Amino acid sequence: MSPPVGLAAFLVVVIATAVVGFYGLRISRTTGDFYVASRTVPPWWNASAIGGEYLSAASFLGVAGLILLSGTDALWFPVGYTAGYLMLLLFVAAPLRRSGAYTIPDFTEARLESKAVRRVTSLVVVAVGWLYIVPQLHGAGLTIRISTGLPSWVGALAVVVVVYLTVAAGGMRSITFVQAFQYWLKLTALAVPVVFLLLHQSGGTAIPVPEAVNPTGLPAAGGYQTVSLLVALLFGTLGLPHVLVRFYTNPDGRSARRTTLIVLGLLSVFYLFPTAAGLLGRMYAPELARGGRSDALVLLLPGELVGGTVGELLSALVVAGAFAAFLSTTSGLMVSLAGVISQDLLGGNVRGFRIAALLAAVVPLVFALVTDSLGLAGSVGLVFAFTASTICPVLLLGIWWRGLSDAGAIAGMLTGAVLCGGAMVAATLLGSGTAPAWLAQPAAWTVPAAFAVMVLVSLATRQRIPGTVTRVMTRLHVPERPLADGR
Amino acid sequence: MTRVRVTAPQSAGRRPGGYLSGRDGFAGGRDAAVDSEVGRLYVRSLIRSQLRLAIVVAAGFLLVLAACGLMVALVPDLARLRLLGIPVNWLILGAGLYPVIGLAAWLYNRSAARNEARYRELVDER
Repeated sequence: MSPPVGLAAFLVVVIATAVVGFYGLRISRTTGDFYVASRTVPPWWNASAIGGEYLSAASFLGVAGLILLSGTDALWFPVGYTAGYLMLLLFVAAPLRRSGAYTIPDFTEARLESKAVRRVTSLVVVAVGWLYIVPQLHGAGLTIRISTGLPSWVGALAVVVVVYLTVAAGGMRSITFVQAFQYWLKLTALAVPVVFLLLHQSGGTAIPVPEAVNPTGLPAAGGYQTVSLLVALLFGTLGLPHVLVRFYTNPDGRSARRTTLIVLGLLSVFYLFPTAAGLLGRMYAPELARGGRSDALVLLLPGELVGGTVGELLSALVVAGAFAAFLSTTSGLMVSLAGVISQDLLGGNVRGFRIAALLAAVVPLVFALVTDSLGLAGSVGLVFAFTASTICPVLLLGIWWRGLSDAGAIAGMLTGAVLCGGAMVAATLLGSGTAPAWLAQPAAWTVPAAFAVMVLVSLATRQRIPGTVTRVMTRLHVPERPLADGR
Repeated sequence: MTRVRVTAPQSAGRRPGGYLSGRDGFAGGRDAAVDSEVGRLYVRSLIRSQLRLAIVVAAGFLLVLAACGLMVALVPDLARLRLLGIPVNWLILGAGLYPVIGLAAWLYNRSAARNEARYRELVDER
């Protein structure tokens, strides 16, 4: 791919994001503006916005890359990323909207009447956010290197600077519109090249069997790994901090459910394209799996298979979509993180928010610069394992079980964080080739452990169950009275 | 007009009692439910039926998921079978599961809304 084309695609997305961000600043001035506007946002816009924020580097680049590497085993990733929203719909969406809480720490504090629970939840949320931003920056580094030939750090730094400026200015959060637009941009940027390549290739030679082409010779994943991965993805989604905050823009619990249904449709459509790209890569460009370039598959595929001006244009479109993915997910995470850091550590004024946003940005940037990407889909999968072991139990038990106590919540979250975090560190130290499966993919045992500790400690500390529990459970589950109902 | 940071609109989290105590008028109608023994009973049964529904749908979906996984793992011939030139195991995992997810979500939404409507009727009859 020629550097000017890649650079142009990158700059167009950056400038467009900045312009829309600052335009949003002018039209949305106060909390009230945001709130009023948010109640008139139709479910379709809201769902597109959730999709836009959710589809990250892992979805846009990582899924196709992993399919290229490991074939059908990798198909569980997009299925899990989507089915995670089904679990969110079943167990969390409507009650969480009805709680009125804006962030996960808000929810746990109010549910358990405990500042200590709030602080532990905040720490976990900050850890999740940092862990999740790192792969986005790795993806940005990879994309800038492949598309322009510039060193990786330029891409990571560019994303952090652009996102920090828009977040600190206050532009990004207030506009559902931007995130909604990002979904459709990402879908187009992947769908157009993939459909073009499918048509282009199907006219040609006989199709080789994808299974027969195993470009890496990686052994197939065992049953344990697949199950553990699915546990992480299914139960990790409902604890992602930037996902939760979007549900607040639904007017009531019922529309939260309707929005989630649409999100499921949007994600299902989107994931067909990285899957098809992975299949195409496995059939026609298996050599891309070597040399650590697999995550760049969707960027390189148009050039490999078509070439010429058309290939360049298609590549430019993919680069634009990729940067849209890094920018939207990173900004969503950074806003959630900065909100938590500023409220709980810095006193919650606007200046504190800007310092907090800087903290939210710089830590993962440093981390991304000193580490190497080990596969985007895999590292994001680990973040899901961490949220599934920490935030998921406290949300599920908090919403559905009266017996949860503050001591139980804290003990469970800490258990999950220590076990899952410890497994992640141990697996990294051992190296990706040598770590045993139970360390490399820990969710299957860390999630039940966190649940068990949370339940047992709560049972042992029954006297600490807050007196407000009946009122709170009512608020969570009883449907809002429709406005037309005149009572 | 000056700009302020967007936060939770009621900013009730700072008040004693927090968001969930629902004394902000927004939940006024819903609070009435806990003022009597019968009301509390209705709420408990609503929560239980919603939880049962969620677990049934989740279990059904997980069964389908497990069945597909086992089928692909245990029947290697699926990789040789083609539909429109694509191996069937790829079709099942790469495209076939999404409609199942959508269907499960749609069924859940319908039944959850029905549970809530039934609760409303009970409370209003009282």
